Amino acid sequence: MSGNGLDKDRLGWILTQMTRIREFEERVKSTFEEHPGAIRGHTHLADGAEASIVGSIAALRDGDQVLTTYRCHGYPIALGSDTKALMAEIYGRSTGICGGFGGSMHLVDPDRGFLGTSGIVGQGIPHATGAAYAAQIRKKGQVVLSFFGDGASKQGAFHESLNIASLWKLPVVYIMENNNYNVVTRSDQEDANAAAGEPLAVKAKAFSMPGVTVDGADPIEVYDAVRAAVERARSGEGPTLVESKVYRLSAHGNIIAPPGVPLHYPEHEAITVFGNRDEYEAALRGDPVPRFRGRLIGDGTLTSEEADAIAAAAKDEMEAAVVFAWESPYPEPEEAVNHVYA
Amino acid sequence: MGEEGSSSDNETGAAALDARAALRLLRQMWRIRAFEERVGVLKRADEVYGLIHLSIGGEGVAAAVCTQLLARDPMYTGHRGHGHALAKGAPMERVMAELMGRSDGVCRGMGGSMHLVDTEHGLMGATGVVGGNIPLALGSALAARLRGSDEVAVVFFGDGAVQAGHFNESVNLATLWALPVILVCENNGFAEFTPRSAHTNVERVSDVVAPYGLERKTVDGNDAAAVWTAFARFLSAARAGRGPFLLECLTHRLRGHYEGDPSQYRDALAAEEWQQRDPIVRLASAGESQRWFRAPDAAAAERDAREEVEAAVECARASPFPPPGLPAELVYAVARR
Amino acid sequence: MAHELPYIAAINEAIQLEMERDSDVLYFGQNIATTDDDPFLQAFGADRVRVTPISETAEIGMAIGAALAGLRPVVELYMAEFMLVAMDQVVNEANRFRYMSGGKVKVPLVLKAGYGFTAGWAGQHTGSIYSMFVGVPGLKVALPSTAADAKGLMATAIRDDNPVCFFHHYLLTLEHGEVPDGEYLVPFGEASIRRAGKDVTIVATGWTVDRALAAAERLSGEGVEAEVIDPRTLAPLDMPTILESVAKTGRLVLVDQATRHGGASAVIAAEVADQGFDSLKAPIKQVTALDATIPYSEPMERFVLPDEDKIVTAVQQVLGSAPVAA
Repeated sequence: MSGNGLDKDRLGWILTQMTRIREFEERVKSTFEEHPGAIRGHTHLADGAEASIVGSIAALRDGDQVLTTYRCHGYPIALGSDTKALMAEIYGRSTGICGGFGGSMHLVDPDRGFLGTSGIVGQGIPHATGAAYAAQIRKKGQVVLSFFGDGASKQGAFHESLNIASLWKLPVVYIMENNNYNVVTRSDQEDANAAAGEPLAVKAKAFSMPGVTVDGADPIEVYDAVRAAVERARSGEGPTLVESKVYRLSAHGNIIAPPGVPLHYPEHEAITVFGNRDEYEAALRGDPVPRFRGRLIGDGTLTSEEADAIAAAAKDEMEAAVVFAWESPYPEPEEAVNHVYA
Repeated sequence: MGEEGSSSDNETGAAALDARAALRLLRQMWRIRAFEERVGVLKRADEVYGLIHLSIGGEGVAAAVCTQLLARDPMYTGHRGHGHALAKGAPMERVMAELMGRSDGVCRGMGGSMHLVDTEHGLMGATGVVGGNIPLALGSALAARLRGSDEVAVVFFGDGAVQAGHFNESVNLATLWALPVILVCENNGFAEFTPRSAHTNVERVSDVVAPYGLERKTVDGNDAAAVWTAFARFLSAARAGRGPFLLECLTHRLRGHYEGDPSQYRDALAAEEWQQRDPIVRLASAGESQRWFRAPDAAAAERDAREEVEAAVECARASPFPPPGLPAELVYAVARR
Repeated sequence: MAHELPYIAAINEAIQLEMERDSDVLYFGQNIATTDDDPFLQAFGADRVRVTPISETAEIGMAIGAALAGLRPVVELYMAEFMLVAMDQVVNEANRFRYMSGGKVKVPLVLKAGYGFTAGWAGQHTGSIYSMFVGVPGLKVALPSTAADAKGLMATAIRDDNPVCFFHHYLLTLEHGEVPDGEYLVPFGEASIRRAGKDVTIVATGWTVDRALAAAERLSGEGVEAEVIDPRTLAPLDMPTILESVAKTGRLVLVDQATRHGGASAVIAAEVADQGFDSLKAPIKQVTALDATIPYSEPMERFVLPDEDKIVTAVQQVLGSAPVAA
């Protein structure tokens, strides 16, 4: 792993963040069994996307910014947000990172560069483009990462934003996490390029910007591509579209049900809708977290004791996050009228 | 995955266009030219008012496309739609009456210049929101397919619409569902008051849609015969159920964006340069050299057009203004019992 | 001191002064700064002043993102209807970001759009749709009726840390008015009493303010003194001033160019019926556009819109001197 500047510490860091994200998401998921009713509404997990998330964020430096979709837990974790506050937000407590105002889909941590999300597919892409515009005129060399899914690439917001970013040479990297599904729709059912068997990165040609496809299960491949794109953006040459192929290991989200019906995570849509258990099981075998752990141990970067310690620390941390969230108070009802206006 | 578009195609398509069609084309172009010039004068006299966008210079595209369509082919256009409407068959006196806000207008005075509708002749609508009805054309194409008809949907828009999100959403879906719709982009290099280079890095619209793989072609929009040939090819394929297609016509907008636009943002076209580009002049001279028609035919085309326009003006002037209470009656459709 | 300016120039003056005062203020949108000699471009440069393609979703979304990153964009949208192309960004993104972050971020931006161009521009360019934004939590809505208010409200809008929809009336574009020199701010939530009177309160917005003042002159000739109030901002709305006036006159006529249902006049009527019921000596009357898309043809266009005659009739109705229409 030489040539891209990733030393043992950095590689260990990458595995650590991937493990922390996985552990956090597992705890969110198990909350539905352990504390039914604690999490309301709709949550979306990043399990399966950890390599893509962390490989991307590893390419950033202080001052850079990130905006994402509602599938947002992983990014602030990698950026260093307080996982107790993140869990408490998902539990709707006053100690949540947004005071209980946003919930799972709307985490925000501007101090760590995590400017926010949107619950509406594709609508955060223009936000990231605007943050990149601000970065451009501030001239401090900041870069913005805009994360979204393959479903968003059909939205007008995607096209309008990438066109302008390319025209104005904005310092932004657009990272499309292509997990091949838009809820229960496969991308070849909704995307002309996918239907033709083409990588979605070809869409970049319409904006005269480079497009590249990477294996989102390999954090180093992701890191290499995003780092190159970040350098290009930082040097003023403009945006890049990175298509990062991932597989989400959970269903799109917990079930949608009216109050009174207990929420839970169903099986992945590949199985429940398309009857394709083989596809899902193959994805499980390619799970990026144990895969990367195995690779680092295999090539001697880490010992298995070091890897175990990472896992144990993550487990303890997220256990504490759950306890903190569960024991935190709810906001006072009257607080609901705060923060409408600045 | 579909043909590569070629830029600045120099096919004249002489073989495809026969003498009868060529004369019909010329006559239609003169009708549009005469109408638009007259509307410009009427606008200055306040007999037509509001926001008027003339298509002088765009007659070649309007005529070459619309004269090949049937009344039942659904067509949509935008704010610069008089020529498309006339060529599609909307009666001239009723279009004129609409611009004057009279009862006999195609929309009874409700819509005006940017909102012409004449469903009897397949003019499904025009919109003042750039590219706003491209998705509607997809709907028409879908309906045609579901009904098993060979109707082809056509929608006109300018190069400015291509950067709008709804254009892109439509291209993806039309390609995915292989809808029988022909997207006709009149690329005149300007969107209102800004040149294309202020809107995008990608000069040719056919290059913007290339990643989708739909069949597309770029032609000289001032060469009516070339537009005719290219469109004819797409049309016959679409009638057989194939699609979508994008026809990019490189044109020139002779007047400002709207009547009254001082156009300080671009250089005025020299008179000789305009003569070289004027689609009517070009078709007339091609017609003579190809022996499609003779000089008297060309002169008659202009004369007849101007007479028809004058008659339309008189007719429109004689039409009464609509009753004031009409709007309230038309807000909702009422079920027939 | 003051100088005379047309309404549109007063707005531009405010933008210019604010851009001079605060380098975080941006100005972008379609068809602006299209030539090198554009005054904004010359004064503030191509970083802060940019032309965009026809991409309202991206324009408004980018404004949100730039605001989250600490800048203060003004987006030129030209027509209120073009905001509809990007409705999610206006009513489901810009407005709610601060709230849903628990106050962690703010979204200072101004969406500048003209409305009401009832000069034959027909249904897609002439609506008075500002009321669509009034009930949206987190948005502010400003609606100047004079050149001075246009300048003062724009300056306040730019300095406000919230997303502001600034709607300027197209028919007022060239209306001249006395405009204070230099820095001039009109606070939000402060109505303007344009004419004092004791017999009836007329609350009018935007372009209808002048119609109401003309109606008041006519009524004065008949011995009826009308108090004409311009709320200037619909969100926040200065109900205390309106209630105080109704307590004095006992009668209320609301004039608004928007359609009747779901408009600003309905909001004000409900608030007065709730908080000022004891003051009322007659039912509240609304003079609005009819519930129809604005038609193109001139006689029809005139018919659907509120005008001086309709205001006078409404006043006579609340005074009991004219029959109330069925």
